[in-house]
Amino acid sequence: MSATRTIEQQELNQLLIEIGSEDQKAFAELYKRTSSKLFGVCLRMLRDRSEAEEVLQETYTTVWRRASSFNVAKASAITWLMTLARNKSIDRLRQHREEQLDDPLKLDETPDDQPTPAGHAETSQAHQRLQGCLDELEPQQRSSVREAFFTGATYNELATRCKVPLGTMKSWIRRSLMQLRTCLDQ
Amino acid sequence: MNTPADDNNHLRYAEYVLGVLDADARAAVAHEVQTTEAAATAVALWQQRLMPLTEEVVEVEPAAYVWARIHHALQLNAPARGRPRQGLWNNLPLWHWLGIGASAAAIALLVVVTVPRTAPPAPTSTANPSYMAATIRQDNGVIGWTATMDPKNARMVVVPASPTAFASGRAPELWLIPPGGKPISVGMITPDQPTTLALDPALVAQLGPKAALAVSVEPIGGSPTGQPTGPVIAKGAISGVPEASAHPRKVASTGIGSGATTAMLNAPDTPGMQQKTATETDRRS
Repeated sequence: MSATRTIEQQELNQLLIEIGSEDQKAFAELYKRTSSKLFGVCLRMLRDRSEAEEVLQETYTTVWRRASSFNVAKASAITWLMTLARNKSIDRLRQHREEQLDDPLKLDETPDDQPTPAGHAETSQAHQRLQGCLDELEPQQRSSVREAFFTGATYNELATRCKVPLGTMKSWIRRSLMQLRTCLDQ
Repeated sequence: MNTPADDNNHLRYAEYVLGVLDADARAAVAHEVQTTEAAATAVALWQQRLMPLTEEVVEVEPAAYVWARIHHALQLNAPARGRPRQGLWNNLPLWHWLGIGASAAAIALLVVVTVPRTAPPAPTSTANPSYMAATIRQDNGVIGWTATMDPKNARMVVVPASPTAFASGRAPELWLIPPGGKPISVGMITPDQPTTLALDPALVAQLGPKAALAVSVEPIGGSPTGQPTGPVIAKGAISGVPEASAHPRKVASTGIGSGATTAMLNAPDTPGMQQKTATETDRRS
């Protein structure tokens, strides 16, 4: 499994490098292989299909323009792509922040704490390792970190959703992040 | 080993990657990442740590038109949908020539050039025109662009008719405006050259005599919002033949070469075109 995954990662890296020299075929191939993953991430954050489509479009136009700055020594292609897609989704969410705060329905959504497919043979070693470290956190803190990551919510929004004071949410998340770093960097 | 200041910085970078910072704090970290190597490295490390979580997200296939939009926005070559069609339809200098210097003589010449003498009359349907055109005029009445649409092959050629200057970083974006609907981006067009655009099926479905085309001024990559953000500089209704200008309305298959793309101009039926209709009928009989 991890051999397949490694080959896939290397192929994506290679595609991104080719896109850096304006190879349109490589661009089409990269889109074919990664757009469903990226769209899933955008859609989960934005919860609106047409907004997610716009962000996906922005993401890939940026990929085309910035591929030449992709440095495989610094990040894998998929990390680079996911980072772009998440950053653009979060920026979009922040633009709408005031509307969201005015809309109690959006804040009332239940925290995202779906069972994770950690046992899935298909997740990478990196994911399994991260999952192992997340499992060491207190359940509420773990669920806050996951909610934050998948929805792109601010501290304020998270505190409201989880019905805890802002200070509590901040300390949960910060403590979790430090714990995760210690666990992952071992 | 870590000082409290280190920890604070690390926290900000971690919070940035996790996505919990508000707009201002996010912008501050994003700026640091651009300007300092240490911040860039720290953020990259957090991305490596946290990004594997995205593996849990259910994949969702985006609609096909998203890829078409990306292609248009970047002005890449037409998406590879089978072999590129050869023939007059792809002959951009020809469209350019038609768009700028169109005249009855030019059309007549084109008919002479392209109608094979032995070809049988091509079946055409007047009820369902296979081609549509639009003259896209600026507010002062000057024709900015002409557009010819080929719904069957899902493509459109947009030809500049008069030079239009754009500020640096700005480019024209073409929009389709369905009756009573919001503009739909057709794609970015080249200011000074004919542009061939592939049309996604949702867009083709909206083409018709009640729809219009418009050109707005947008950032190079296209409107960031999906709706026009800059001034609309030219507009035009989609119709048969655009007024008295001799723009081809329908191009019918002659039955030879590569089907519909080996084109001849066929029986336009607006008053201004009567003469050429007669000419063509003569040629056919």
